[in-house]
Amino acid sequence: MSKKTAFWIFLLGTVSSAIVFLGLTWDTQRQVAALSHVDKLSAQVVEGKRVFEKYNCNDCHTILGFGGYYAPDLTKVVQRIGEDGIRYRVKSPEKAFANSTRKMPNLKVMDTEIESLVAFFTWIGNVDNGDWPPQDSKKRLSRGEERMVAGAGVSPGAAVFQTRGCMNCHSLNGTGGTFGPVLDTIGRKLNREQIEHYVRNPKSVNPKAMMPAQKELSDKELESVATFLADLK
Amino acid sequence: MEYRSQKIAYWYFAIALLLFTLQVVLGLWLAFNYTFTVPQGIVDVFSFATARAMHTNLLVLWMLLGFMGGTYFIVPEETKSEIYSTKLAWFQLVALVTTGVAALIGFAFGWTQGRPLLEIPTTLDIVVVIGALVFLFNVGMTMYLAKRWTVIQGTLLGGLLFLALLYLFGIPFYQNEVIDWYYWWWVIHLWVEGAWELVTAAIFAFVLMKITGVDRQVVEKWLYVEIGLFLFTGIAGTGHHYYWIGAPKYWLWVGGVFSALEPLPIVLMLIDTMNHVKHRKGKIQNPLVWTYAVGCAVLHLIGAGVWGFMHTLPQINYYTHGSQVTVSHGHLAFFGAYALLNLTMFYFAMPRLKGIEEFDDKKGKIGFWTMTTAMMLMGLSFGIAGVVQSYIERMLGMGYMVAQSYMRLWMGVTFFLGICFFIGVLIMVTDLLTLRPARKTAG
Repeated sequence: MSKKTAFWIFLLGTVSSAIVFLGLTWDTQRQVAALSHVDKLSAQVVEGKRVFEKYNCNDCHTILGFGGYYAPDLTKVVQRIGEDGIRYRVKSPEKAFANSTRKMPNLKVMDTEIESLVAFFTWIGNVDNGDWPPQDSKKRLSRGEERMVAGAGVSPGAAVFQTRGCMNCHSLNGTGGTFGPVLDTIGRKLNREQIEHYVRNPKSVNPKAMMPAQKELSDKELESVATFLADLK
Repeated sequence: MEYRSQKIAYWYFAIALLLFTLQVVLGLWLAFNYTFTVPQGIVDVFSFATARAMHTNLLVLWMLLGFMGGTYFIVPEETKSEIYSTKLAWFQLVALVTTGVAALIGFAFGWTQGRPLLEIPTTLDIVVVIGALVFLFNVGMTMYLAKRWTVIQGTLLGGLLFLALLYLFGIPFYQNEVIDWYYWWWVIHLWVEGAWELVTAAIFAFVLMKITGVDRQVVEKWLYVEIGLFLFTGIAGTGHHYYWIGAPKYWLWVGGVFSALEPLPIVLMLIDTMNHVKHRKGKIQNPLVWTYAVGCAVLHLIGAGVWGFMHTLPQINYYTHGSQVTVSHGHLAFFGAYALLNLTMFYFAMPRLKGIEEFDDKKGKIGFWTMTTAMMLMGLSFGIAGVVQSYIERMLGMGYMVAQSYMRLWMGVTFFLGICFFIGVLIMVTDLLTLRPARKTAG
C-alpha cells in the first residue's frame, strides 16, 4: 500500500462517516419534537431544567442515564416516587435520608424552584426513549416478576414486592430502602384487605402518609402482594 | 532539546502532573463516599457532586495541558523552526491554569453550569476559548512560517482545530434536555473518539518514529490509515450514546454497528507499534519510554476497545447504561488511551528538556507497574460492582439502594486499589520532576 492509497482511506473514511452522521443529525432534529413532546415543554419545564443545573443535581444523579452514578436515575422519578416524594426529598433530605447509608445535601432549594423541578421531571418522564431505564419499565418488570415466580420458586406476591419498586422504600429482613417502615411483621398489624386498601390510597387512611398511591398495580398483583405481606407475622 | 522554545513544554508537563495528582486525590474522596457513610453536615457543604465536578474537570485540564505541551515540544522538531511566540505560549498557559483554578474554587461555592464535565460557567468558557485561539494561532503561525508540512503536523493541527470547534457546542443553554444531551456528546464523544484520537495518534507516531528510527514514510502511511479508521468508526459511532435519550430508533443500528468497529483502529495501532519495534534501527535508548508506549497501546485496546465494544452493544447497554460498568469503561479507557499517552510523551520529552541522554529508570518502572496494575484491578472491581448493579437494580428491579448495598464491598476494594494507584502516581510524578542521568546511579 502506498502513502497515497493510505491518504484516500483516510479521506473516504472520514467523509463518509461525517455524511452519515450529519444527515442523521438533521433527521433527528426533525423527529425530536414529536419524540420529546415539545408541545409540553412549557416555560416552567425550562425553568425546572435551569434549577436542575443550578444545583448541579446531575453530578450525583443520572438523567437519561448520563451524569453521576452516586444516586438514582431521575428519568422516570415521577413514576417511581411521585411528585410528593420529590418535594419531600429535595426539601428535607436530612429527614428523608436520616436512616440511609448515603446522604443527599440540603441545598435550600426554594419552593417555587421545587415546583419547576417537578414540572421538568414530569416532562422528561414522558419522553419516548425506548422504555429506559429497565428498573422503571412496566413491561420488563412484569416479565421479571414472571421469571422469578417460574425460576426461583418465589411466591407471586413476593415477586411483585421485589420487582415493582416496593423495596425502594421498604425493607424486608434488612434488605431494602429506608424511607418507609420495615415490613418484617406487617401482618401482625394489618390484614390483607387493609393492606390492599392502604396501598391503593394511603392518604385515605393516614392523611400525612408519604407513600404515593399505587395506581399501576393490577388487581391481581395487588391481591398477591397483599396476601404475601399479610402472612408476615 | 534542539530548539530553545521547546522549553515551554516543561511547564505544561509539570503543571499537568500536579493537576493529575490532585485529580486522583479527589477520586479517592469519591470512592470513600461510596464505601463509607459521610455525615449530613459534610455532605451539605462539600457534596459528592462538587467533588465529582472537580475530579472530571481536573482530568480534562491536565490532559489538555499535556497535549498542548506535547504540541509545543513536537512542532519545532517537525517544522525545524522555533515556536512563533513563546510569550503567547506563556500567556496561554497562565490564562488556562488561572481559569482552571478559578473554576475549581467556583465549584466549591456552587458556581457551575451544572452539566456533567461541562460545569465551567459561561464567563470562564470565554477565557478557555481565547486560550484555545491563542494556542491555535501560535501553532498555526509556526507551521505556516516554516512551510515544512508533514502528516504528523497536519494530524496534530487538524485534531486541535476539531477539538476547539467542538467545544463550542457545549456552551449554549439548550431548553430541551434531549437536544442538550445530543450536543453534549458532540463535545464529549467527538473529543475522546475523534479529536483526541487524532492528537494522540500524531504524538504517538512522533514518539515511535523518534525512538525506533523507523522511516517517516512508513510511520506516516500507517498514521493516515489509523486516523481514517478512527474517524470512520468514531464519528458515526457517536450514535451509541443516542440509544435511550429520546432520539429516533435507527441510532440503535448506526451506533451499534459503527461502535462494534471501533476496536479496529486500536488493534491496528498495536500491531503497527509492534511492527515498528521489530524493524527498529539500533538500540532503544530509554526503554522506559517504550514500556509506557506499549502499555498505552495495550490498555487503550482493553479499556477503550474491548470494554467499549461490550458496553455499546444495545442489548447489553440497555441494562448497563449509566451504571458502574460505564465507570469501569471510563477509567480504563481514559487511563489507557490518554493518561498513558501523555505520560509516554512526558517520559520521552522530559530527559531531553533537561539535557539528560539516558536516565535512571528504576523509580519510573515501579511507578508504571504500580499504576497500571492498580488501574487494571480497579477496572475489574468497578466492573463487578457494575454487573451486580445491572442485575439487582435493572434486571430484578429491586431498587437502587438495595443494589448499592451489595456493591459496597466492591467500591471498598476500589477505594483500596485507588490508594495503591495514588502511590504509583506519586512515585511517577516525583520521578519525572527529578530525573537523573543513569550513569551516576550505576557508578
